[in-house]
Amino acid sequence: MTSPTTAGADRLLVGAARHSGGWTGLVAATAVADALAAVLLPLALARAVDAAPPGGPSAASALWPCVALVLLSATAEVLSELATGCSAARATAWLRHALVRHVLAVGPALRVPPGDVAGRTVGGAAEAGTAPSAAPEAAVALLPPLGALTVLAFIDWRLAVAVAVALPAIVLLLRVFVRDITASAHRYLSVQGTIAGRLAEALAGARTIAAAGTAEREAERVLRPLPGLRAEGETMWTVQGGVAARGLLTLLLLQVAAVGAAGAELMAGRVTAGELVATVQYAGLAAGFGPVLTHVLRLGRARAGARRAAEILEQPAPADGDAAVPEGRGTLEFRGVSAGGVLHGLDLTVPGGLAVAVVGRSGAGKSLLAALAGRLADPDRGEVLLDGAPLPRLARTELRRHVGYAFARPTLFGETVLDAIAFGPCRPPESWLRESARTACADDFVRRLPQGYATPLADAPMSGGELQRMGLARAFAHAGRVLVLDDATSSLDTVTEVQVTGAVLDRFGDRTRLIIAHRAGTAARADLVVWLDGGRVRGRGTHAELWRDPAYRAVFGVAEPAGAAP
Amino acid sequence: MTSRREAARLLWRTAAGAVRGRPRAASAVLAWSLLEAVPTAVFGRAVAQATDAFLDDRPVRAAAWLAALAVAAVVGAYGSRRLYLALAALVEPFRDDLVRAVTRGALYRSLRGRPDTGAVARLTHQVEIVRDTFGGILVVARGFVFAAGAALLGLATLMPEVTLLVLPPLVAGLVLFGAAFGAAAIRQRALVVGEEEIAERTTALAEGLRDVVACGAEDQVRERLAAAVDAQAAAGRAVARFAAVRALALAVSGWLPLLVVLAAAPWLMRRGATPGMVVGALAYVLHGLQPALRTLVQGMGGSGLRLAVTLGRILETSAPVAPPLPPVAEAPREERADAPAVELRGVTFAYGASARPVISGLDLTIPRGDHLAVVGPSGIGKSTLAALVAGLLAPLEGEVLVAGRPAGDPAARVLIPQEAYVFTGTVHENLTYLAPDARDEDVVRAADELGLARLVRDLGGYGATVDPAALTEGQRQLIALCRAYLAPAPLIVLDEAACRLDAAAEARAEEAFARRPGTLVVIAHRVSSAVRARRVLVLDGTHARVGRHADLPAVSPLYRDLIGRWESGDPDRPSPEAPGTAGPEGPGTADPEGPGGSQPPGLLGDPDRVHPVPRADLPVDAGEVVADRPDRQDEVLGDLRRRGPA
Repeated sequence: MTSPTTAGADRLLVGAARHSGGWTGLVAATAVADALAAVLLPLALARAVDAAPPGGPSAASALWPCVALVLLSATAEVLSELATGCSAARATAWLRHALVRHVLAVGPALRVPPGDVAGRTVGGAAEAGTAPSAAPEAAVALLPPLGALTVLAFIDWRLAVAVAVALPAIVLLLRVFVRDITASAHRYLSVQGTIAGRLAEALAGARTIAAAGTAEREAERVLRPLPGLRAEGETMWTVQGGVAARGLLTLLLLQVAAVGAAGAELMAGRVTAGELVATVQYAGLAAGFGPVLTHVLRLGRARAGARRAAEILEQPAPADGDAAVPEGRGTLEFRGVSAGGVLHGLDLTVPGGLAVAVVGRSGAGKSLLAALAGRLADPDRGEVLLDGAPLPRLARTELRRHVGYAFARPTLFGETVLDAIAFGPCRPPESWLRESARTACADDFVRRLPQGYATPLADAPMSGGELQRMGLARAFAHAGRVLVLDDATSSLDTVTEVQVTGAVLDRFGDRTRLIIAHRAGTAARADLVVWLDGGRVRGRGTHAELWRDPAYRAVFGVAEPAGAAP
Repeated sequence: MTSRREAARLLWRTAAGAVRGRPRAASAVLAWSLLEAVPTAVFGRAVAQATDAFLDDRPVRAAAWLAALAVAAVVGAYGSRRLYLALAALVEPFRDDLVRAVTRGALYRSLRGRPDTGAVARLTHQVEIVRDTFGGILVVARGFVFAAGAALLGLATLMPEVTLLVLPPLVAGLVLFGAAFGAAAIRQRALVVGEEEIAERTTALAEGLRDVVACGAEDQVRERLAAAVDAQAAAGRAVARFAAVRALALAVSGWLPLLVVLAAAPWLMRRGATPGMVVGALAYVLHGLQPALRTLVQGMGGSGLRLAVTLGRILETSAPVAPPLPPVAEAPREERADAPAVELRGVTFAYGASARPVISGLDLTIPRGDHLAVVGPSGIGKSTLAALVAGLLAPLEGEVLVAGRPAGDPAARVLIPQEAYVFTGTVHENLTYLAPDARDEDVVRAADELGLARLVRDLGGYGATVDPAALTEGQRQLIALCRAYLAPAPLIVLDEAACRLDAAAEARAEEAFARRPGTLVVIAHRVSSAVRARRVLVLDGTHARVGRHADLPAVSPLYRDLIGRWESGDPDRPSPEAPGTAGPEGPGTADPEGPGGSQPPGLLGDPDRVHPVPRADLPVDAGEVVADRPDRQDEVLGDLRRRGPA
């Protein structure tokens, strides 16, 4: 348990505790107060009961300690609820802020699956957030049972022994419960998974089902395993019933034993009637090792959550510089760049203001090259320069303002379709956003949406081609010195592709355009083609020049011998 | 859940409904609960008598009382065990009802909109929460009623005047708890919703991290998420405040009675109460009332809120369980043997009131036995047209008739969409989905016709169970196509239903359909589908034209463009019928237009070998197509008319 992550997790928990402010301290204080009150109250009760018979000690003076302890206990419980909740809320929020900040800082290099990031930020952080309150509670939870046994021994050691002997039975009971319920819950979940799987299938085929009018038949098919679910569910109830019955019996018999033992002492004159009441109370308290277990389990879960969060926070984030981009036309230089085991010592200069197509077989590193151009990834060796400035020296915002991207499968952000196009460091005016959409051939389908540009993104299901056009519109709206199109027109139908590529070539004629292309037609229209092969630049020139090489033609799937027309 | 009372009301309605619906299980629960409460009722009395017996030096009598208590404990434990079985008979059917409601709700809703597969996991999860919490509440709330009732009853028989002292604080605490419940439910709901929002936003962020960074929008995204996180922390604190109120309620109703009994003890003993009776009264409060209250407040506080909130959300999302479309109206006109297979009259459709129409003023007649291909750029409304013909969408204006009757009758047409539906079941079940009465030899023949035989063999025969996830998209599409082929309906609409097949497999399938009697409408993914069709409908957003493949290029620039690109050997669109277009002759023929640029765009794929030059006397299907606006220029074909046949 000396892995850096474990240490990181514990550091994280300490940080969370510090940031949950005074609440964590309050949790500890109330837990101690509550435990003290719980241990002392039966003693006070005993005195009050013994003071009740007429002619005995002053009844009123014996009552006041009870009142004081009850008040203490009640106040502690009320404050504890408040403090536990607030400390968890603050610690969780602190962790989540840290996670979000770090995920954004690491960027696309993050090596955690997306669903997992959400899981760690939501579930993991929430669990880790309970640690600051769970830790003192777990420590203090031992006090009442230990205190109860101690006081009991102080009243009469025989009573303490009697109670201590009965305790292992309770522990045993808990273990049986956990084992039985786990097996049955597992079977239950598997039936439930079957139903969920069938429902998912049917939902994916909704259009077929709607057309065939077979919804009711489908519902019956999905629900066919339901009786099995019921059977497993009933088994779980049976197990639970058995546990409840045993629990009830054990507790009652423990109390009967306590009354019997204390009664015998009472008869012998060694304890008072009040102390008999206290004995039954203490027997219950001593049996309360359950809460200790609960708190320890909670603490374990909290540490697991913290470890999950720490795994994200330990991913290195690239450092940014603070330099501005020097004057220039958007010239990109790759100097001896090796990256991802795909590019090996690549040297390339992309002249400013030209449309440069990057071609190569799949796996040649085209997308990696695109990512390096705008520092979405850093090379393992070598450097990338924009107008003479190494990218890591540039301020992040500067770099983003000058290098824009459109992707094959863009992800859209924002409330509405218009927001999704406006997404970026600043918001361009609406007229420009619409103009960008027109340029990307997105205007047409956007205006067919229920509320046009104001349609919520969630209500605007898009095909792959429509999504690409939105991604292009977004890139156009923020276009700076360099525009990187990473296979950004691959899902467009032929006509639209020609229009969009035309716009890229004409309207953005003064920018550097790095176009990752799979189609020969796209390469043909670029000013310059860079042909990647084996991690290096294999050829550089116009499409027409390169086309003479059969190996270049093979990149586009043109089989040899080409042109064997009948 | 908008008002404070609604949460409590929902809980009450649910519990009452579940109980009323199953009176036998409910009375069993009642009976076993009574038995379970026996030790609680006896406890104080037994302790009182035993204590007094011990004080009087009568150990046998004391032992007898303790033995009686032990017997009561055994009886109670037995009752408890049986009780859980009775509870199962209440909770499990309730869960079954919920699963049914959720399934039907999700299914019917997805028929009208986009399938939401995320809902499956969420709803199943939520159903479990409801089951757990509903069961938990039945255990806790019912347990409280019986345990508190038994303790009070025992107390009343032991010392009636103490009961009167204990009741006011007990009731006061319960009232406080109840009053805070609704408000707490609202806070708890905010917490659940906030959690979902953070999960959604984080998932979106993680999935689109590259885009966020590439767009330089880190700050924007961070601020939004930070706001959600802070709102969630505030919601967490609000919930904590209500947890504190719950603790206060517990203190009032649990601790005050104890102090009241203690304070009254001297007075009671002066009135003749024995020490044992005081001890017994305390035992009733400490071991009967207090544990019952604690479980109630904690159980109802946590799980009760969860139940109210989650159940509310399930009901919100699965409420409208209604058929997706009004049932096809009783045919207003008789099916006419001579009615065309499909007739669209002045059909206009848009996806929203203010949205631009996707289809406007379209007239189209598809005669029986026709084979029509629909082509056009993506997003132009081809699938919308298919849905209109199938009756899955209703036009804003105009009408759609299938065989002379309003569209929408599943027996009259089959629509196979792009996303092929294959379910976990046997191959045979999947293939005969639309034709349950199909004979085995028909199924085998259909599979042979469509080129499915090999896949069936690989899967292990017709009786083998299919795992849809193990099939490729293309294999699933083949199964769906075979299913359509077997269906008895006279009209088949294939909406890019073969787009994942390779070109040869697609050709084989379409040719099989063309041989099948009946009418075929193919929404084309590849232009090759149009080449095979008898007629082609071109949608370009403003016009709709019908004509033969050979004739259309002359009048539709779009169509010219489509087949031109296709034939230029674009590697993304391989074309089996145009083998001569694969590339240039060799080195030196490179052309900026691409590898196929040296080939003049031609119509090599035309199966009829009809010369593509338009002629004025071209045979055209007059009166079948129309666009939203007649275009004089293009009337060379004479196929554009505002009105369909009267």
